[in-house]
Amino acid sequence: MTVKVLIPTPLQKFTRDQATIECTGGTIAELLDSLEQDFPGIKARLCDEQGNLRRFINFYVNSEDIRFLDGANTALQAGDEVSIVPAVAGG
Amino acid sequence: MVTRIDESAVVLIAMRNDVVLNLTPTELERYRRQIMLPGFGEDAQRQLKATTVLVTGVGGLGGTAAVYLAVAGIGRLILVRGGDLRLDDMNRQILMTHDWVNRPRVFKAKETLERINPDVQIDAICEYITPDNVDQLVQSADLALDCAHNFDERNWLNAACVRWQKPMIEAAMNDMEAYLTTIVPGQTPCLSCIFPEKPDWDRRGFGVLGAVSGTLACLTALEAIKLITGLGQPLQSQLLTMNFNHMEFVKRRPYHDPDCPVCGSLSFTQRVLDQSVRSAPANSLDWVALNR
Repeated sequence: MTVKVLIPTPLQKFTRDQATIECTGGTIAELLDSLEQDFPGIKARLCDEQGNLRRFINFYVNSEDIRFLDGANTALQAGDEVSIVPAVAGG
Repeated sequence: MVTRIDESAVVLIAMRNDVVLNLTPTELERYRRQIMLPGFGEDAQRQLKATTVLVTGVGGLGGTAAVYLAVAGIGRLILVRGGDLRLDDMNRQILMTHDWVNRPRVFKAKETLERINPDVQIDAICEYITPDNVDQLVQSADLALDCAHNFDERNWLNAACVRWQKPMIEAAMNDMEAYLTTIVPGQTPCLSCIFPEKPDWDRRGFGVLGAVSGTLACLTALEAIKLITGLGQPLQSQLLTMNFNHMEFVKRRPYHDPDCPVCGSLSFTQRVLDQSVRSAPANSLDWVALNR
């Protein structure tokens, strides 16, 4: 299941400055494991020590917050776009 | 004052003293080009004149948003920002001048805005938002622009806006990315719904182009104008994310947490009211707003 993942600027140091990457996973949780395999260290920025998604980061599947769906268990379809949007405070 | 049944405008009207302000001949001429906009007119201009906007953070974002509210004819601006102007602010803080470096920026902002539009009342407060001052500031305004450079001020402002049921425009940026949403307590997600926790943040740890903070500022001011006048459709329950490297603008549906520790009780009240409204007669939105 290949999906497109949009990486925010602060995390692009893990993805060799790539803002958009293609990755595989049947769910958000599987996608994060796949990301970690390709880009070691990135998962710790997205999940806490217990493996829960960090609460200062939004995950959107095709513009829908996954908290409306099934959280980390949200199923992904081929061609879906997953966006990672962290809280920021620049003014 | 509002003749259209527009949810956002009705909310504002309900929270504002019902003052009808006439436009002077100078104002009619100054704002002629926007008054002629379809859906705007003199009613919208009077609504702007009757409105007070609180702007927290008066830098590249808040200061520039204040410019566009001032030239649009907002009645009163309350500018809140502590600290002195730094030389490295000058790539984006367009209300400032080089000779003002090392002096309190909020007073220069007031001076510049008054020269641009002397009809706008401007209060400059050289403080940061704190738990001690936030309630009084929010109560003094009809809506707030959240443009601060740190999460503490943003969290305090969000909570106070929910507490006093004042709309808040949330605008924030980092490098070449930004987001924007319009928060109406009880109707939309609040900042805590969208981001229940906040990360560590270095307010000077990222790069910024003045054109990026300025673009976000223009959109922020536009959201406020829409909310005040009923023009168009504000970003209520929509998070506009912007990537300026690729010029990608996407509207997303942010999570509205029914159990949010900040706005959850309001959401419950709103659901009860909504159920009542469904069986209520026409113009029930007015009833909802006036009974908040």
